[in-house]
Amino acid sequence: MTKADEGGLVTTEANEQVADSAEHETDLGRDRRAALSSLIFGGLMVVAGPVMIVDARGLPDAGAMGPAVAPLALGVLLGLTGFWLVLRSLRELRSTPAARERTMPGRAALKVGALAGVLVAFALLLPVVGYVVGSAVLFVATALLLGAPHGWRLYACGWSLAALAFVTFDRLIGLTLPTGPWGF
Amino acid sequence: MEQITLLLEGFAGALTPMHLLWALIGVTIGTAVGVLPGIGPALTVALLLPITFRLEASSALILFAGIYYGGMYGGSTTSILLNTPGESASIIAAIEGNKMARAGRAASALATAAIGSFVAGTIGTVGLTFLAPAVAGFATSFGPPEYVALMAVAFTTVSALLGPNLLKGMAGLLAGLTIGLIGIDSQTGQPRLTFGVDSLLDGIDVVIVVVALFALGETFSRVMTGIGHSTVQPVRGRALLSRSDLRRSWPAWLRGTALGFPIGSLPAGGAEIPTFLSYTTEKRLSRHRHEFGRGAIEGVAGPEAANNAAAAGVLVPLLTIGLPTSATAAVILTAFQSYGLQPGPALFEESGPLVWTLIASLYVGNVMLLLLNLPLAKVWARLLTIPPYAIYAAVLMFAALGAYAAGGTTTDLIVLCVLGLLGLLMREAGIPLAPAVVGLILGPIAEQQLRRALVLSEGDLSILVSGPITVVLWVVAVLSLVVPVLLPVVRKRRSTLAGTATTNGSSGPGRKSE
Repeated sequence: MTKADEGGLVTTEANEQVADSAEHETDLGRDRRAALSSLIFGGLMVVAGPVMIVDARGLPDAGAMGPAVAPLALGVLLGLTGFWLVLRSLRELRSTPAARERTMPGRAALKVGALAGVLVAFALLLPVVGYVVGSAVLFVATALLLGAPHGWRLYACGWSLAALAFVTFDRLIGLTLPTGPWGF
Repeated sequence: MEQITLLLEGFAGALTPMHLLWALIGVTIGTAVGVLPGIGPALTVALLLPITFRLEASSALILFAGIYYGGMYGGSTTSILLNTPGESASIIAAIEGNKMARAGRAASALATAAIGSFVAGTIGTVGLTFLAPAVAGFATSFGPPEYVALMAVAFTTVSALLGPNLLKGMAGLLAGLTIGLIGIDSQTGQPRLTFGVDSLLDGIDVVIVVVALFALGETFSRVMTGIGHSTVQPVRGRALLSRSDLRRSWPAWLRGTALGFPIGSLPAGGAEIPTFLSYTTEKRLSRHRHEFGRGAIEGVAGPEAANNAAAAGVLVPLLTIGLPTSATAAVILTAFQSYGLQPGPALFEESGPLVWTLIASLYVGNVMLLLLNLPLAKVWARLLTIPPYAIYAAVLMFAALGAYAAGGTTTDLIVLCVLGLLGLLMREAGIPLAPAVVGLILGPIAEQQLRRALVLSEGDLSILVSGPITVVLWVVAVLSLVVPVLLPVVRKRRSTLAGTATTNGSSGPGRKSE
């Protein structure tokens, strides 16, 4: 890292105040997003509770020491806590006025979906293309989604990190990592 | 004193070249991950679990202990220079520390944090040395009912203390408990929550869950909201304390330690509460009160000391009762289990040399950390200039590697991705991850103890409240559920009575927990 790089990251006090006020504007949006996310999480819990109870009902009944006790109790707790969370987030949603900007821009959702897709592709293609190629692609794709500048440096960085990880963990430590047709 | 002989034997074990090397690697990795945003000690230990299984138990545990202590040191560097705490217990230090750094006093802030961490870490480890055998001795009388009650206390206090509010803490805990339930029940051989998927029969590996919730959740969240712009404050001069800084720091270190160690060693809190208490104490006692909020050195010294003393304190219930009260402690418990060791009173009897070597290595690690952090403060600060996209991309890459190493199948990576999205949702909703990790790891143990208790009593539930210890513990558990609900009500009533609402400085911690 050169001196110039360091200087570029160290911004002045004035710059920062601008950044601070920009953050306050999105505070409302963030609160609303938090309330929405809790609503979804609460909803998941409300669904998971009964699912657990149904699953537990299928287990042999062996009294207080049986395998069904813990999931039954947990299912009830999940349902109740989820319901409480849903109610509270609905109240929060109603009390926070809708922010001017959209709570979650479509592009952000798209990016999350893209990263999830990259991960699934990595999982499926790992045995085919081998660890080094797979991981290098994973690194580059993630960095690009995070807004990294394009360029040979990024690819070089991804490739060397993946190669370094392969040499360390496969050759030195003895984990067996998947190899592609080219042996790494 | 018996402890001193045992500790000296421990030092004989810890000072071998191999163990010194592992301690050095541990504290170096620990400091690095503490400094880097987005990676914490819990995640790092989890990632290293599948890789270190070939090591001897003592080497691996020394490595993990070094990461645990190192993470605490490194976290303060990030909070001082970047105002984004690397780990949750450093949040308070960020308030004053970053103000000091902006005023050009970053070096003094780093120095007081490092020396304070050393003082508190060492006193805390001395406390651990003498307290742990006593607690272990006391805990030998514990039967399954006591363990069930202790775990109930841990569950309720962790939910109440490690999140923005009790409800969200509970939601996190229940999510963790549910994930922990997936797989074949170890006692009856019945598959639970597997929905006919064969690869779920073995349960979901702790490593995969921890890595998904912490690393993937964080990366997803960064992808969604953007990395943002952070300002790294430059470090000018050497990290040394002037005489007046030292005079203001040392009482704060000692008070922070006095708050941190006892609270950390309770089977409840973790490291967050004492840092917060230390800050309010320093603010009240300081003769430079006007400096608070503008960079008061006491406000860095006290909380940092409290943080590190509490980290040592957390090891007391972990080693003596097998009760983790923070995410990192929970993952370290898994590390013990993967070596076939069960922390608890029996550990001190059965694996005495191992435990004492571990404790001795904590003293050694603290000295190493002081040497690593004071002269090399600038080097660590340089880590912060790595572009965040590279850090998160690398974190994701190593997360995928860790998950693959833990499971070794494509399904494990898919599970990782799904749980990562769950982690994103929790992060966005403000649901704390620490209770989830504690629930995940402690849940199966709690169920086992509950069953043991009920086998002893032939199904009679009254065994759970049979002794005085259990009754007290259940009362504590219920109180920790009731107090957070009632406290705001009482306070609201009091403030309306008083007419003018005077906000209380100690209104409870309301931040994200790591």
